[in-house]
Amino acid sequence: MKLNITLPKFLRIGTLPLVLILLMAIAAVVAFTRYAFGIGAISDLSYSYPWGFWISFDLFTGVVISSGGFLMAGTVYILRIKEFEPLLRPSVLTAFLGYIMVAVALLVDLGQPLRIWYMMIHWNHTSVLLEIGICVMSYLTVLAIEFSPVVLERFPKLHKAAHLIHRYIMPFVILGVVLSTLHQSSLGSLLLIQPQKLHPLWWTPILPILFFASAISVGLSMIILESSLSSRYFQRGLETHLLAKLAKALPIALGVYLVLKFGELAIAGDLGYLFTSGIMSLLFWAEILIGVLIPMIWFSIEKNRTSPNALLTGAIITLLGLILNRFNVSWFAVKHPDPLFYVPTFMGNVDYFPTFPEVAVSIGIFSAGIMAFGLLAKYFPVFEAEHHHVEEVHETVHGLHPAPTPGDD
Amino acid sequence: MTDIKHHAYLFDATRCIDCRACMVACSVENNIDMDKTRIWVAGLGVTGEYPILQRGTMVYHCMHCEHPDCMSACPVGAYTKAEDGPVTYNPDLCIGCRYCMNACPFGVPHFDYDKGIVDGAFIDKCTFCPQRIYNGQEPACVQTCPTDALEYGERDELIKRAHERIAAHPDRYIDHVYGEFENGGTSYLILSHVPFKDLGLPELPETPINEVSEKVMEMTIPFALGWGAVLTAVSAGVAAYDKKLALSKVEVKNGKSAEKKAEESK
Ligand code: SF4
Ligand code: SF4
Ligand code: SF4
Repeated sequence: MKLNITLPKFLRIGTLPLVLILLMAIAAVVAFTRYAFGIGAISDLSYSYPWGFWISFDLFTGVVISSGGFLMAGTVYILRIKEFEPLLRPSVLTAFLGYIMVAVALLVDLGQPLRIWYMMIHWNHTSVLLEIGICVMSYLTVLAIEFSPVVLERFPKLHKAAHLIHRYIMPFVILGVVLSTLHQSSLGSLLLIQPQKLHPLWWTPILPILFFASAISVGLSMIILESSLSSRYFQRGLETHLLAKLAKALPIALGVYLVLKFGELAIAGDLGYLFTSGIMSLLFWAEILIGVLIPMIWFSIEKNRTSPNALLTGAIITLLGLILNRFNVSWFAVKHPDPLFYVPTFMGNVDYFPTFPEVAVSIGIFSAGIMAFGLLAKYFPVFEAEHHHVEEVHETVHGLHPAPTPGDD
Repeated sequence: MTDIKHHAYLFDATRCIDCRACMVACSVENNIDMDKTRIWVAGLGVTGEYPILQRGTMVYHCMHCEHPDCMSACPVGAYTKAEDGPVTYNPDLCIGCRYCMNACPFGVPHFDYDKGIVDGAFIDKCTFCPQRIYNGQEPACVQTCPTDALEYGERDELIKRAHERIAAHPDRYIDHVYGEFENGGTSYLILSHVPFKDLGLPELPETPINEVSEKVMEMTIPFALGWGAVLTAVSAGVAAYDKKLALSKVEVKNGKSAEKKAEESK
């Protein structure tokens, strides 16, 4: 069932980490330029396009690909489906790092990065962005608590502390799920204030519901992706039987999303735009085909759910499509007031296209995330279920609990 | 001091001669770089078909909305809507997220893209010249206007004046005062001889744009509490069920005696 190969320590520092370090260095240089000379010095953002690649990629994509954490925490702790425990820690770690990446990226994007904490004390209750800010900050804390046992377990003296946290974890798990539900959906609400700027194929009052529905599929795909990749990179066993179950849930989650999406379009009477809006219609269909329809068919085929390669391929397709949705909503389908009139040429760029440094910052931060995941997974028991807890509960109950992973800790 | 209860402007596009004196006046009065002006004038070229040709000029300016979207959006509450009209921005709170720029349907707030972390990058927008209007003067842009294309005064009176002007010259104006109802009403009112769309103004509903998002925000806390309660109940239920299941399995394992014991104990 499981293929356990001990990790050859210190050996696997190869090209990948080197490339990652290089990308991080480039990002650091760009970030320095930005802090010294302003956002305009490195980006194409303008009066007409105040939000661009950073928001679409770092915030919208970054948050949604971190949704695996609350899905797994909810499954294992709240629904007590203990068999998913091996997937819990990697997902929580991905989420934790994902949100840290979001926060770091915001420090580059904000005009006053040193004031980011103002969101904790100055509250404007009508602002969706405030809700997102508060949720993300609180959820980062929750994730740190959820992940802390992994770090504590590494040190024998701290086992007690790990145990204590584990014992009182439930309130944090519930808080985490609530916070995630709130801000995953609120990212959609961010666009509610621009009905005349966002194309009607995407603007709907139920944007928050759509965002939450698709976040579930993204989370499931991310767990498949990250398990598959790390099993390859660390040469450890792959929990194909578990991933198959997640893959089975995907067509259902995507189906609900599809019904919601088209149902809303039909009720709002916007179905006409599906074929009449030129490039917008095209983007819409691309997102539906790649992110929803193809994955639904793909994961409905039993064979694809049991083969590691097919699982990985399917997850990547789903992610591409659903991330395209985030880009559409936050950038491609947003039309700012006609720049010809509003922004005489001397005041800003009429079109927006991300510059190389802009993209480099995001890539650098992303590389740091991958690097951190690799290091943590290497030196801390991320890929082991919490033996003692599992044993406590199961050993007495089922005689047939799979033997604990032989230690590589 | 001022007697005006609701400050407002009236812009008459038929009177504007594209001299851009208002831009200069604003820059001088408020010490703003010309390329970051708070008021900007765009010649829209010649429109219409020969022989009925028209040329238009539009003066863009913060609309000082009655339900400002910039204010609704700003996470830290850097904007305030004064009861007597002006919408103002407070740089001491701003974190520079630029959400207000996204939210404003008129693309009004501007951002210091050329400022690093030492200077600090802020938003800038029209302040309604409080240093002038609260001293009984007209805003700098209005006072400078040589043709009275820009006027300033009490909002109700300006609306009345605008409708009177339309009634007096129905051939000259489009029968609509832009800003009277748009986006729940604005304090910058516009009269025009060409369709408002040609002036680059968005078509806005009479209900404030931010109504939808504010309603969603109102539901947040009740939803969070409810959802938290549901999750707590579910986890408690599942835990209890698990325990029962575990017990019964232990009993099966230990044979009939245990089962009997369990029954007896019940
Ligand atoms: S025009 Fe824009 S900046 Fe001015 S009050 Fe309205 S929403 Fe705010
Ligand atoms: S940029 Fe400043 S004023 Fe505008 S929404 Fe953000 S914090 Fe508020
Ligand atoms: S009211 Fe004052 S700040 Fe506003 S545009 Fe006119 S001169 Fe500038």
